[in-house]
Amino acid sequence: MTSVVSPEWVLKVEQLGKIFGSLSENGLALTGPDIGSSKDPVTGAIVAAWDVSFEVAAGEALGVVGESGSGKSTVMRCIAGDQSSSAGSVQIRTSPNEQIDVLSLTPSERRQLRIDKIAVVYQDPAEGLDLNVTAGGNIASPLTAAGWRNFSSIRSRASELLLRTEVPLNRMDDVVKSFSGGMKQRVQLAKALANRPPIVLLDEPTTGLDASVAAGVLDLIRGLLEEFGLAAVVVSHDFSVIEMLTNRCIVMNHGRVVESALTDQLLEDPHHPYSQKLVSAARA
Amino acid sequence: MTSLLNDLIDNNESEQFGILDEYSKREIRRAVLTAVAVPGYQVPFGSREMPVARGWGSGGLQITLAVIGHNDVIKVIDQGDDQGVNAVNLRRLIVQSTKVSETTTAAKSSIVQSRHRIPEDGLDQRHILVLQVPVPEPLRGVERDMRELARMHAEADYSKMWVSLYEDKVRNGVITQTTGYPCLVNDRYVIATTPIPRWDIPKLDHSPFLTLFGAGREKRIYAVPPFTKVEPLTFEDVPFEVEKTEGATCSQCGSNSSFLVEIPGAQSRWVCSDTDWCERNLEGNL
Amino acid sequence: MSHTINNAEHVVLDVRNLRKHFVLHTIDSRIVEALNGVSLKVSAGEHVALAGTSGAGKSSLLKSIYRTYKPTSGEVFLKLDDDSFVDLISLTDSELATLRGTQIGYVSQFLRAQPRRSTFEIVTKAGIQRGMDSDTAKQAAAYSLQRLNLDEALWDVSASMLSGGEKQRVNLAAGTISPPRLLLLDEPVSALDPVNRESALELIGTLTDQGVAVLAVFHDIDAMERLASRVIVLRNGVVDYEGSPKETLERLEGVAR
Repeated sequence: MTSVVSPEWVLKVEQLGKIFGSLSENGLALTGPDIGSSKDPVTGAIVAAWDVSFEVAAGEALGVVGESGSGKSTVMRCIAGDQSSSAGSVQIRTSPNEQIDVLSLTPSERRQLRIDKIAVVYQDPAEGLDLNVTAGGNIASPLTAAGWRNFSSIRSRASELLLRTEVPLNRMDDVVKSFSGGMKQRVQLAKALANRPPIVLLDEPTTGLDASVAAGVLDLIRGLLEEFGLAAVVVSHDFSVIEMLTNRCIVMNHGRVVESALTDQLLEDPHHPYSQKLVSAARA
Repeated sequence: MTSLLNDLIDNNESEQFGILDEYSKREIRRAVLTAVAVPGYQVPFGSREMPVARGWGSGGLQITLAVIGHNDVIKVIDQGDDQGVNAVNLRRLIVQSTKVSETTTAAKSSIVQSRHRIPEDGLDQRHILVLQVPVPEPLRGVERDMRELARMHAEADYSKMWVSLYEDKVRNGVITQTTGYPCLVNDRYVIATTPIPRWDIPKLDHSPFLTLFGAGREKRIYAVPPFTKVEPLTFEDVPFEVEKTEGATCSQCGSNSSFLVEIPGAQSRWVCSDTDWCERNLEGNL
Repeated sequence: MSHTINNAEHVVLDVRNLRKHFVLHTIDSRIVEALNGVSLKVSAGEHVALAGTSGAGKSSLLKSIYRTYKPTSGEVFLKLDDDSFVDLISLTDSELATLRGTQIGYVSQFLRAQPRRSTFEIVTKAGIQRGMDSDTAKQAAAYSLQRLNLDEALWDVSASMLSGGEKQRVNLAAGTISPPRLLLLDEPVSALDPVNRESALELIGTLTDQGVAVLAVFHDIDAMERLASRVIVLRNGVVDYEGSPKETLERLEGVAR
């Protein structure tokens, strides 16, 4: 039988794990979705994430679904470098021949990756933006970090990005603090895409926004993902977000992956008891 | 290196040469050598208590006292003026404790200690210029956390600085920083040029003289060695401009090509900041 | 309509003993059976209609082939470009996602994840996804939309603003643009008024001429009669009867719906 060739991965996560504190000998067996807890009953250590594996190709968006405490944000932060990991590997492909073993890099090298390889859009815009700086200035930050030194080129690129993320250009020189929540997220998106990174991680990108505002931002994200052929990981507890943005996803509970499926399949035919609970709650 | 520094310690002097003891001088010299070896890098040093209050040039004074020798000739200026109160006090302190000769003419000196100016002319490879620095950290306006500042310099991550220059230009149409304009030294470290005006910054680039920056209160020493590249930070398409007032000339010597300062009064009056240069210009003695 | 012989050479879809049951953990883990061993074949250029009472498993079958439902057991062989067959059930999610874009189409009554994107963009995008270049896709999109009588004034309108019937036609246009090897249709004209229904059926009718293998569910006997060369009747999750539309109808007439 011939195999179907699916596009090659750009981001590959293998058995990623993060434990806070020190685990007892049987700590892993004593935690997880079957036990119903991430906390080691002996030492109190938290198995925030364990044995998480997935691949994402260019132009693909993978959803990571779960309730708070599921470990989904931990996984994202470990890939982003905001958090150190305890186990596993994260690899990225920046070109067909070039592969980087992310977790083996020094913190300084990892910060370099954040300039133009891995972009992050946070739930709280204050984490991804400098609120005391203008919209244009926020975008100037990754550009100058990548070596841009021409003022009008920087302005030009920033305008282009703001236009694309539907931020009114007449607000380009306004300090971001004065923007609405939805507008802040748009600026975050513009900033994240400044150096055309191949990989984007989005953590609850529209949580906290009004429904109508969220719809607009999600639509924008979907368009951007397609247009730029990004490899994206979308972390959310909200199925409408997952449905809108992703075609594959994994479900996390108490730090472990309980199910991995095509998004439409997860929504219509969830298998794991926890997935079923989540989906039926969402449908309600 | 250590043996050489040891050699410099003179245990036979019955009277201490200068206010600093020999071991203090050694430590400052070590810091200075490190600074010269890594241009633009802020070297921490154990700043001693000086007979001048912090904020009045104690850092510059310590450097001068550590590098000065019997055959040196000292010039001290404050705002370009040899006769400014602080300049006078510092010079007196140095001369009385070390018995070295003094001068107001840069070309006749070997060490120039200054707050807020580089002399208009006269400095060459024989000279050491010692600048008094209030705030050595160029990134202080954009970052407060000490560890983050250390990281930014270590990783040459100056994007926050660039963003503040961008914001400045957007807000004001030009980059407005007057004193303390950030400069990139040897394509590596960004320094604060806090003591000197923009006018003097071009003098640092590939200068024949050694410039040492001393911050006593902040306990840092940094250096621009001779013939080192010093570039003011600016965007490619935003030229670095020095201060210039159209039509202003020195009311004493008539110059419009030196750095002028305004004398407050009913009518606007300008004079050369570098008083020694002004006098020589008037006498036709440049 | 041409009555294509079920020639093994032209078989595009070969479903073997497909079973699907659901385990409802949220309701005391009870088991609900949807498909109890369905086998069928569809050839290129053939339009096969699925019939049966509601609950018989028609939609479930389509969804199980498309893998919106993950089959419990059985095999679903699809012919690929190089004439080899691949069992869709054995593929990874990524591999299946790739195939869905290019080889398998699925049109239902629902426009999933309603985007703000315009009608024209949705259809064009579908074409691009199937491998068309931008210009060709735009032309094909215009053609499809015109054929389905979708007013040009609505082409730039956000799809979410359309009526049910208009959405369905957009769905159909998107699903049939650069038609894939296998097209699964689940009540694609249910919300259309007679005039639009007519155009839609006409469009669907041309698909088989292009060599597409079509497996469709219509509640509409007339549509079935008109388009299908073969009808497969499902009952309780298995194939009850298979025959020509005429034969099947006569048989069904005797059974209460």
